[in-house]
Amino acid sequence: MIALPQPKTDVLDRRDAVHEGLRALLPARAVITDPSRLKPYETDGLSAYRQMPLAVVLPESTEQVAAVLRFCHQNGVRVVPRGAGTSLAGGALPLADAVVVGMMRMNRILDVNYADRYAVVQAGVTNLGITKAVEADGFFYAPDPSSQLACMIGGNIGMNSGGAHCLKYGVTANNVLGIKLVTIEGEILELGGAHLDTAGYDWMGIVIGSEGQLGIATEITVRLLRAPEGTRAMLAAFKSNEIAGRCVDAIIGSGIIPVALEFMDRPAIHACEAFAKAGYPLDAEAMLIIEVEGSVEEQDSLLGRIKEICGRFDPISLKVSQSAEESAAIWKGRKGAFGAIGRISPDYLCMDGTIPTSTLPEVLRRIGEMSEQYGLGVANIFHAGDGNLHPLIMFDANNPESMHKAEAFGADILKLCVEVGGCLTGEHGVGVEKRDLMSVQFTETELDQQRRVKTAFDAGWLLNTAKVFPLKPGTDTTPAPIPHAA
Amino acid sequence: MQTNFTPDQLADPDIAVADRILRSCVHCGFCTATCPTFVTVGDEDDSPRGRIYMIKDMLETGAPASEPVAFHLDRCLSCLSCMTTCPSGVDYMHLIDHARTRVEETYERPAHDRALRSLLAAIMPYPARLRMALRAASLGRLGRGLVRGEGMLMRRLRAMLDLAPAQLPPPSSTERPGVFPATGERRARVALLAGCAQQVLDPGIHDATIRLLNRMGVEVVVAAGAGCCGALTHHLGRHDEALGFARANVAAWTREIGAGGLDAVVTDTSGCGTVLKDYGFLLRDTPEAKDAARISELTVDITELLLRLDYQPSRTPKTPLTVAYHAACSLQHGQRVTDAPKTLLRRAGFSVAEPKDPHLCCGSAGTYNILQPEMAGQLRARKLGTLHALKPDLIAAGNIGCLTQLAGDGLPTIHTVELLDWMAGGPRPARLPQGAGG
Amino acid sequence: MIAPSDEAGLVAAIEAAAAARTPLTIEGLGSKAGFARPVQTAETLSTRNLTGIPLHAPQELIVSARAGTTLAALEAKLAEAGQHLIAEPPHYAFLGAEAQTVGGIIATNLSGPRRIAWGAMRDHVMGIRAVTGRAEVIRSGGRVLKNVTGLDLCKLFTGSYGTLGVMSEVTLKVLPAPEATGTVLLAGLDAATAVKALSAALGSPFSVTGAAHLPQAAAAALGHARSITIARIEDFTDSVHYRIGRLAGIWSGFGAVEQLDTTASLALWRAVRDAAPLALRDGDAVWRVSVQPSAGPAILDMARGAGLDGYLDWGGGLVFLSGPGGETAHAAIAAATRRAGGEWWLLRAPDALRHRPDALPPEPEAMAAIRRRVAAAFDPAGILNPGRLHAA
Repeated sequence: MIALPQPKTDVLDRRDAVHEGLRALLPARAVITDPSRLKPYETDGLSAYRQMPLAVVLPESTEQVAAVLRFCHQNGVRVVPRGAGTSLAGGALPLADAVVVGMMRMNRILDVNYADRYAVVQAGVTNLGITKAVEADGFFYAPDPSSQLACMIGGNIGMNSGGAHCLKYGVTANNVLGIKLVTIEGEILELGGAHLDTAGYDWMGIVIGSEGQLGIATEITVRLLRAPEGTRAMLAAFKSNEIAGRCVDAIIGSGIIPVALEFMDRPAIHACEAFAKAGYPLDAEAMLIIEVEGSVEEQDSLLGRIKEICGRFDPISLKVSQSAEESAAIWKGRKGAFGAIGRISPDYLCMDGTIPTSTLPEVLRRIGEMSEQYGLGVANIFHAGDGNLHPLIMFDANNPESMHKAEAFGADILKLCVEVGGCLTGEHGVGVEKRDLMSVQFTETELDQQRRVKTAFDAGWLLNTAKVFPLKPGTDTTPAPIPHAA
Repeated sequence: MQTNFTPDQLADPDIAVADRILRSCVHCGFCTATCPTFVTVGDEDDSPRGRIYMIKDMLETGAPASEPVAFHLDRCLSCLSCMTTCPSGVDYMHLIDHARTRVEETYERPAHDRALRSLLAAIMPYPARLRMALRAASLGRLGRGLVRGEGMLMRRLRAMLDLAPAQLPPPSSTERPGVFPATGERRARVALLAGCAQQVLDPGIHDATIRLLNRMGVEVVVAAGAGCCGALTHHLGRHDEALGFARANVAAWTREIGAGGLDAVVTDTSGCGTVLKDYGFLLRDTPEAKDAARISELTVDITELLLRLDYQPSRTPKTPLTVAYHAACSLQHGQRVTDAPKTLLRRAGFSVAEPKDPHLCCGSAGTYNILQPEMAGQLRARKLGTLHALKPDLIAAGNIGCLTQLAGDGLPTIHTVELLDWMAGGPRPARLPQGAGG
Repeated sequence: MIAPSDEAGLVAAIEAAAAARTPLTIEGLGSKAGFARPVQTAETLSTRNLTGIPLHAPQELIVSARAGTTLAALEAKLAEAGQHLIAEPPHYAFLGAEAQTVGGIIATNLSGPRRIAWGAMRDHVMGIRAVTGRAEVIRSGGRVLKNVTGLDLCKLFTGSYGTLGVMSEVTLKVLPAPEATGTVLLAGLDAATAVKALSAALGSPFSVTGAAHLPQAAAAALGHARSITIARIEDFTDSVHYRIGRLAGIWSGFGAVEQLDTTASLALWRAVRDAAPLALRDGDAVWRVSVQPSAGPAILDMARGAGLDGYLDWGGGLVFLSGPGGETAHAAIAAATRRAGGEWWLLRAPDALRHRPDALPPEPEAMAAIRRRVAAAFDPAGILNPGRLHAA
């Protein structure tokens, strides 16, 4: 179990005063302090980790967020930003002495501009909500994390969320033009705007993916893209992970960049098929979902080339979707993969390392060995185009030993990812889950440099404390701030 | 998701079921996005995942339900949109049903709340009592202006008065038990759930169902001894009363099966259909378990049956009519009947349009619009906004609750089966303005 | 000039400078010394001898280059595998024959026409190695395409003009170069109408990868009699043919649409990328302005009123301006850009302009305070390119 920092006793002692202070800033219904109302906020998408917060506030405007942060800053109270609470890394895990700032009420779309291709939305708008608002006019917002139905754009900013289509369209950082950021001091900063390039330091670049360490985004200007004429998916099933991996290399090597290139191993295929009934090949060891876009003729031409390439790798089956409905069903299985695992296992841990794609067969082989060794099942889903690997470790959270093993198994996988030249997290973020593994990827010098940037924004280390950065070595109970210029 | 029940707690079969359900939830949060109360309020406590978490805590600690827990569980519409969304197949319906019973058993509601709930449970399931109450209420409407104040009681009273129709239709012959024989050769024999509130509020729906089925060669039985399906009391957390209704119905239809055989038990009120299809679960630990399971197996929505019997119209509207199809939650989420009504309406010659966010509830939800007038009002306004945007001639739905909730905003609200009956030779639906559709 | 040939040499140089508090000018080959604000130091630290391409994995769409590698050398290496740099970095004509380094193009975050569709240089920096002003070697990112581990210092270094540290090596995402390139061209439109046409093209489902408008003077520099408005498609040959045809259809309401083949297209877009349409006289300044596309024409009109020339790229959102570098002209550009919510850079200017407080867009005080703290976090002694971006 992961260590959380010692709560500040002086803050806990002032609990009632903090509650009163918050109530003075926000409408009564926006301040939650009753224990049974706080309970559902004690965890997020990583429910193995839980901690009751000091309070939850649900602001409705940037000004209210600024007022809350200013108050917390003045009173030395820690702050945990929260969107939809779908983080798989425990990014919104509360602390006992922290105020959770829930952004769910800021769910309005403020502006849509097709001529200049952007939309301005509040942080609590869901990822899919943006696309839903513009799709009738032919546009979309590109990043599409699996949780896009529920996850909010503010959280996407925090984690620099990706998705299945980022091979072509990029991740959150590549699709955001402007951010209204509230600092811990309650200052409201406008980063970027509706234009493409910004002068000076790339503040948006450092804020996106900073996991709430630097401030809270309240309004976001996102790029809108015009949807292609059409998209179509195909399934290709192979006899081994290795063969599927080689086929991916061959597709990319041919100069084709599919809009999505997803890999699933045998357990993942079975779990997803049970949920989506998409006609996944249950006799395959590995399966690729390959999606292309363009006019029907262009789709035919690209899928023809891809089929020809797949054909060289002794496929078990190749199935080109014939309709939008079939493509949607293919994706339904993939997008619901994490939840679908819930049908075959009471609990799962979703890992999120990235590896050089050439190492996939070796990595899957070694994960298979670990699976035997730990006695826990694992299903692998892989964004094959960009190397982002999602092993889903199945375990039983009601069995402490199983849970402990799952955590150790997960850590071993991530160490393996770093060992082969990859990284700990491709799109879910470090959160609390991978915090203590940061030193596997980074030297202490490198971590200190990142900590100094954090300090430059948040000298008191009040924002999302205990996430991203390992606690102070030796004590494991306090965060490890470092003066920005020290 | 991890749970913390002791072996003793798990010995209780209801807790064992709850544990299984809770364990299947992976806490992914997808359900929040399609929950009507969460999208309205923006609070985890008013989301399915939040409620599941509260229920988990309540059951694990074994403590009486607290006021906040009762408040947030009461605010759940039981629309089951979350179940359609859930990738893990969490059986939210049975979890919230169980939790409502637990709240009813352990939480001391304020006196006015208790009184109102008892009143609803004592009147709504009984047609004669309801008719009397509605007559009184329609008199009471004259005095609506006197019901002032913003307290919950006053708001609920106003909501009740607003829902009561100004004029109550006369009772129909279909209200009494009987057999309505097929026209021509008999193709099938079905029992129709006569139910409770619908036949008082709009007896024309049953009339249309029976007419249409008879014409299609189906003998329809309104079985003696069958009555309210039990949904109303069930959702008020009055588990034992609900089981009483369920048992009576199972017994009545089982007798019919013995007497003349039944090919189906048909409902034209989807809220009831959802519960009928759940009788097998509700009565699983009773001597009637097997019969109940058979009744659930036999239960179909009227549109499912019509599609099975290959409904065909005998004419089409003289002028084009655009029908805004409102999917009742009990039909789309509870029974997963989504395409049948639209397919049939199109076949009957109507142009069918669907509103934005069709998965969201209209706020009716049984007695919800009386008990939670504020939330119900917001959902109603949102739903009507999206329906009006379609510029339809009328709204069609398969559930009396929705039809009542959406009425009174300028658009006729008509049951799907009345429209289908009309195009198959039946009379023009009474609520349709003269001239529309020819 | 100190020009180490390895990272250890960079460390040693910075360590010595930090100890002595001796400011350093940081550069590659110095081609962009005229950008932004001037730096005057006794010593220069150059990455020009840190060359080489230690990794190119075409199937993984990844290349690593040492910072002093010339852009031309990297592009040649990629071309061997049929790949290219996604952001299409410019080789500005006004920089003369001076070669530029990979480190320089990243430190200034310069992108070409393809930025409108595929992102800027900053979007494709997957990893860096750098020596900070503390003389410490740090890495950020890595050699994989998707990575959110820790704070993204790659983004912070990109466009930081050597003020946080000296990059020794960078890893970039690359893509297959297209099989074919096609262009649709409209002649004679005014800027406002042109941006409407470009908006229609960019709002089409045909993946336009370049969208520019050259007013008459700029078009004349490329041999066109009238203004030209152009949109580009890059893809497989069949797709280019099909999409160009569809674009021509969309544009038919704007006038006669000309279609250019691959050879003509490559030449034209290279000129647009390299600011070749700017006819520069000695002493002329060059501004680069980023605004939302529909604001581009007004900036162009305003500048023309102030005696400047220019053209639009990025669908109207990138404005190149050139002309006599007077303070009045600069103030007017700054004011108009700020009104439009955009930002500006000086790419070439007399020192008087480069020393102005608004040489770069001024920051609000809260932002400036954070910026100073962030800079100090990397370079506490303030020895790396001091004053290059901000006076203080």
